Amino acid sequence: MSKHHSLGSTGVNRRALLSGTAALLASPFVLSSARAEAAPVNVGVIMPLSGPNAQFGINSRNGIELVADEINTAGGIAELGGAKINLVVADATSTPTTAGTVAQRLITQQDMTAVLGAFVSSLTIAISEVTERRDIPLLTMSFADQITGRGYKNIFQVVAKASVIGKAQFEYTAAIAQAAGAKIEKIAIMYEDTAYGTAQANGLRAGAKAANVEVVMDDAYPLGITDTTPLINKLRGSGAQAVFPVSYLNDSLLIIRTMRQQKLTIPAIGGAAGYVIPDFEKGLGEFAENVLSIDTSNYDLAPQLTERFRKRFGYFMVHEALEHAVCLEVLVQAIRKAKSAKAEDVAAALRGAKFTGGWINGMTGGAVQFDQTGLNVLSVPLMVQWRAKDIVTVWPKDIAKSAPVWRS
Amino acid sequence: MKRWLALAAVIVAVALLPLLLDPRGYWIRVFTFTLLFAAMAQAWNIVGGLANQTSLGHAAFFGIGAYTSTVLLLKFGISPWLGMLAGGALGGLAALVIAIPTMRLQGHYFALATLAFGEVMRVIANVWTSLTGGPGGLSVPFVPPSLAAYSFKLLRPHAYIALAALVVVTAIFEIIRRGAMGYRLRAIKQNPAAAEVIGVDTTRVKLQAAVISGALIAMLGTLYAQVAVFFDPDTVFGIASISIRIALIAIIGGVGTAAGPILGAFFIIPLEEVMNDLLSSRAAGLSQLVFGVILISVILWRPRGFITVFDSLRARLSRSGAS
Amino acid sequence: MSFLQAILDGLLIGGVYAVISIGLTLVYGVMGIVNFAQAEFLTIGMFTAWFAWAFLGLDPVLAAPLSFAVAFAIGWVVQGQLIARVLSAPSVAQIFLTVGLLIVIENGTLLLFGSQFRSVTTSYQTISLSLGPLFISIPYLIAFAMSLACGVALWWFMRASWFGRAMRATAQNPAAARLMGIDTALMYKMAFALGVGLTAFGGAVILPYVTVYPGVGGQFVVLMFTVVVLGGLGSVAGAVVGGLSVGVIQSLSSLFFPIQLQNLVLFIVFILVLAVRPQGLVGASR
Repeated sequence: MSKHHSLGSTGVNRRALLSGTAALLASPFVLSSARAEAAPVNVGVIMPLSGPNAQFGINSRNGIELVADEINTAGGIAELGGAKINLVVADATSTPTTAGTVAQRLITQQDMTAVLGAFVSSLTIAISEVTERRDIPLLTMSFADQITGRGYKNIFQVVAKASVIGKAQFEYTAAIAQAAGAKIEKIAIMYEDTAYGTAQANGLRAGAKAANVEVVMDDAYPLGITDTTPLINKLRGSGAQAVFPVSYLNDSLLIIRTMRQQKLTIPAIGGAAGYVIPDFEKGLGEFAENVLSIDTSNYDLAPQLTERFRKRFGYFMVHEALEHAVCLEVLVQAIRKAKSAKAEDVAAALRGAKFTGGWINGMTGGAVQFDQTGLNVLSVPLMVQWRAKDIVTVWPKDIAKSAPVWRS
Repeated sequence: MKRWLALAAVIVAVALLPLLLDPRGYWIRVFTFTLLFAAMAQAWNIVGGLANQTSLGHAAFFGIGAYTSTVLLLKFGISPWLGMLAGGALGGLAALVIAIPTMRLQGHYFALATLAFGEVMRVIANVWTSLTGGPGGLSVPFVPPSLAAYSFKLLRPHAYIALAALVVVTAIFEIIRRGAMGYRLRAIKQNPAAAEVIGVDTTRVKLQAAVISGALIAMLGTLYAQVAVFFDPDTVFGIASISIRIALIAIIGGVGTAAGPILGAFFIIPLEEVMNDLLSSRAAGLSQLVFGVILISVILWRPRGFITVFDSLRARLSRSGAS
Repeated sequence: MSFLQAILDGLLIGGVYAVISIGLTLVYGVMGIVNFAQAEFLTIGMFTAWFAWAFLGLDPVLAAPLSFAVAFAIGWVVQGQLIARVLSAPSVAQIFLTVGLLIVIENGTLLLFGSQFRSVTTSYQTISLSLGPLFISIPYLIAFAMSLACGVALWWFMRASWFGRAMRATAQNPAAARLMGIDTALMYKMAFALGVGLTAFGGAVILPYVTVYPGVGGQFVVLMFTVVVLGGLGSVAGAVVGGLSVGVIQSLSSLFFPIQLQNLVLFIVFILVLAVRPQGLVGASR
């Protein structure tokens, strides 16, 4: 305990001086459970806590805090002599460079076992540039393809990539429509021009092309748009049978409401983010009913666990909270396996092994296993549908909790 | 003579600082960005201070520099040093293109026109995906470390390059300020009509200042890209993250003086970091809120920048010396 | 037909742009200050209306006067305590004081109300009138009508009331106004409070179709500047023309260009107008 504190507060050159002694000291600490209290395991949590994505950052932090508190109250990590998890939370802001600086700060100030973050793909990428050079594992649920596409060794992406999600968004929809006896021939894609929107739109486009479905409208729009009428005017003239909007909350409400105003009733299949948070239903009321959305995990896959989140925070466990909880679960399992809180030992334990149980039950595939690039190969997207104030998993069939409703 | 000695002492002291900081650590990164932002604000100062045209769109040229060198490196493997020159040329050209229609605008109109130009460049960078990678951003690839390839494992060389850049940009600023061009710019600042009458080609001088400033900040864009390693359109073309920030740094320090941007950068950048460190985990928004309050207080206290603290100190000293 | 629809949509949305921007131009016209924090009062107006809806069950449109009053009071204090101190400072200090204010208000609301997106549900939110093949969005129409009413009220106030005339006199020549016995400090407070109040009023009327969160003002900052500069900084009539122009340009440009380029088209028009007619489309040269 005291060792870590002195590490954090001594001068800038302490790393060179202490690295040797720290290594020597670390092993007795780990092995002797007779000690009153084991050194805590420092885990950096870097999230956008201010700026336009603050809401998602706070949701993510809530998920992580829930898991950490539960582990700590249950006596910490037994393999490390009951070591507690010490979350070091920091604001990534909305600028990637600042996020990188924040990561550098956390790693320099304390011995970090790992870093979790940062919801927004561009922030995650900037953080990974720092963690990679310092050999600290970074666990994330950001979607962007580049995250595990750069050959980095210390990054672990627990969910499917954006292009895969986009493709599934189309393919699942086609399958659901087919099961209901409908056939989709023309679709419209509209997405915000962010990393997430463009990457997912690429997947949608690829899916449509493979299925020989015509994309009659394919429009990016500026982030923070306050008037979607031009988009919906265009949609109305396009003759599309289904629309795939990929956006955060404000745009998603605008799009659905403007569609209603213009009496457009074609199904809208959302691209996660703004379509799978409680505020979507709060904003739309009855118009939210039966809206479909792609997602990467859902709380109804592990209801007994996610209910604890609802109890503590008062809303259902949104996917970013759940997936970050899974990040911490996987991390803790790796620490237990490595019997070490050293970053490089944990990174080695994360690679290749298969993690199951606990919060991981909330993921598709029922387990987490990272490949060479750090991508969780077992995660597949799923389709959810709004039912009253809840979202219910409706596809793929083997994990669905309810049958999908299709109205074309 | 004394002043030069003092200046040399300060430069040596600053030059020694990176040696004392953990080369993989946090403070050297903050130090490097502080130097970079000081240099950026100094480049802005040529237009914003000497020509008295408050540009709120310098991110346009900065982003051009960052993207030019990084795209040349990614697509053709060209060293960022050469890319920096190409970026500087493009940045200067862009500055010329936007200066021609906006040059005659006064005060707030100029500020708002440049703000809009910065946004134009941001939108273009977002849309032109095949060249810029779009909103997904660009990662500077890691190549074997060497000075020629502008690639280093540690931050220390980056800190020295940023320091050298600050010295060079400050020297250029001083040369302009003391030279004929500075004289002409001051004449225009005080009375454009009168300057025209005494034979100052106001158009030409303003264009020169705009191009030099634009080219310099574009070259600094390359430096930024090499340190930050990853950036997207919102980072390098951002209103808040770049345009407003560098103007703010110069203004907090003292517009139109060589020391102003340096003082401003060494106040603003570390302050942001300390705020984020101390407060960001307590309550969302608190650190930024305190930062804003400090900003307002400083402006109310010293509307003409920190530099005026030294002026009043000097005035007090000379007064007490006289009595 | 899509052309007519685009013009119609543009005018409706432009009316709202006008009312949220009038305050900005009023503050500039009277004090010569460009207020970067103006859009934050839109956020304040939206939050006020949201709380009135959530706790009093008031429709945002009816809560608009309340939003006006709250922002007016805050504006009064801000002008008296902060802006008044920099009236004679360099214009860059004025600009960056308001930037500081922007940071404080945005993060203050984040601290107080949290980061979640809040939206209201109203009965007319998803309804539109059909006019032949044209659609007229009811929430847009209501917001437009409210903006119009607000604009007319302001026009009357500036023309007919003693306060309005005194304010215009202060704008034209503060020294002369003082000689005539006008309390210019009071006029500045009045102008600033009125200006931010109008923006907050606009915030309330758009609440039926825009979600409120601490950063929402940021989405409108550049747009508001475009409106007032297109119309001519300091001209109230200009802000109306500017607002309608921006609405129509945005709406029409989406017929010919990708919607992603909406703002690009707008800003290029903006820079060109500035280059050719720096006093704005209607503004008299100041």
